[in-house]
Amino acid sequence: MNDRTQSALVRLTRELVRLPGIGQKTAQRLAFHLMKVDKDEALRLAQAIQDVKERVTFCVQCRNMTESTLCEICQDPKRDRTKILVVEEPSTLHAIEHSKAFNGLYHVLFGALSPLEGVGPSDIRAHELENRVKAGGIEEVIIATNPTIEGEATAIYLTKLLRPYGVRVSRIAYGIPVGMDIEYADEVTLLKSIEGRRECP
Amino acid sequence: MPLLNSKAVILHSQRWGEADRIITGFSQRAGKIRAIAYGARKLKSRFGGVLEPFNLIQLTLFERTPTSLARVSQAELLESFSAIREHLHLMGQAARMATLVKAITADHDPNEALFQALVGGLRALTTTPDPQGVMLVFQIHVLDHAGFRPEMGSCTTCGSSLGTARGWFAPWSGGMICAQCRHTQSGPCLSMAPGSIAFVNQAKRLPFPVVTRLRATGQVRREVEEALDAFIRTILGTPLPEIASWAAEDEPRYALPVSSARS
Repeated sequence: MNDRTQSALVRLTRELVRLPGIGQKTAQRLAFHLMKVDKDEALRLAQAIQDVKERVTFCVQCRNMTESTLCEICQDPKRDRTKILVVEEPSTLHAIEHSKAFNGLYHVLFGALSPLEGVGPSDIRAHELENRVKAGGIEEVIIATNPTIEGEATAIYLTKLLRPYGVRVSRIAYGIPVGMDIEYADEVTLLKSIEGRRECP
Repeated sequence: MPLLNSKAVILHSQRWGEADRIITGFSQRAGKIRAIAYGARKLKSRFGGVLEPFNLIQLTLFERTPTSLARVSQAELLESFSAIREHLHLMGQAARMATLVKAITADHDPNEALFQALVGGLRALTTTPDPQGVMLVFQIHVLDHAGFRPEMGSCTTCGSSLGTARGWFAPWSGGMICAQCRHTQSGPCLSMAPGSIAFVNQAKRLPFPVVTRLRATGQVRREVEEALDAFIRTILGTPLPEIASWAAEDEPRYALPVSSARS
């Protein structure tokens, strides 16, 4: 291995280690793997990264990631256009989409209000959501922000912001994860699940 | 401190890495501590929502070396002060309490009185009709227990007794100054009525929750608020964050409107 090869490898390792969840050892393993595979395969990865950076942008309506002006969800005529589900990040949107539990539209806030960090409504896309509701046609807004202090603050704020427009504002339920033994649940989750209990169907 | 088991109040909780959290807490036995809770943001984490800000918890930490970040081994909820999470205004006041304690204390410096004031202050927020009033007496207690007790009885410059007349609070001197010294000093001073001085003295003496029965209205509240704001700004080098207007509007229904509390 000459100096030039070594420096390219070191550079690749340094770039990989900056990715979330990748440590030094994993970065080295990935770098050596990329060195071993066919040139075409490695360049496909490089091309995919380049495409993502050049083509992917944000939907003008919901701020989901898309390659066109409107994302696939906003363009889909089969979606229920009377419901908007509000999430903090696009990753949450994709997790919910993967579950196929929701057939309406989304709104990505890109953050949450934080009394501790001084993050206010103008730092998240709260007023874009207000404008969507104001435009009409929305019957329900489901707030699916994280069950953290920031997520709760955001939910309270959005509820107060949107209720005057006559829409139903709901919050996703808290509770015991499916498949989990109740005895292992933490106190806060248990408390919330009992508070948010509902009548058996 | 290889192993610490103590009650603690979470002051700050920050996302870290893929699914972890770094918490800053004020513990009863070790003062301000920072620790990492691995996997705390995962759905099946044993910590769940226990490590959220303002929770009073029983915390077990393990610290490999004194310089390394401690690791949260166990956390059990003792009190969640859940009413705070229902109103943006209360969240804002609790955030100011946490910010003050975080800024004014040093790491690993236990302070039982300050810990009790923090728990008492958060508990009082959940029941009080006057959250701003609770914040006021909380600030007085924190300053007192952190070693910044404002001198209200005598002049901090010449030492003469101030009596019962109107006095001047000089944040840069750590307390009151007399009329004569005021003319010889160049620093800014805030005028305080005898009622305002008496309020601060009484608030220092009474413990939580009794101290929350003290009521400051009108001029007294305004003067004490201004004096404390200026004093804290002098100590910390930065003011305590104000409650943003979007949060200030969301007061609990039983709270007194700000205007009537000050009139």
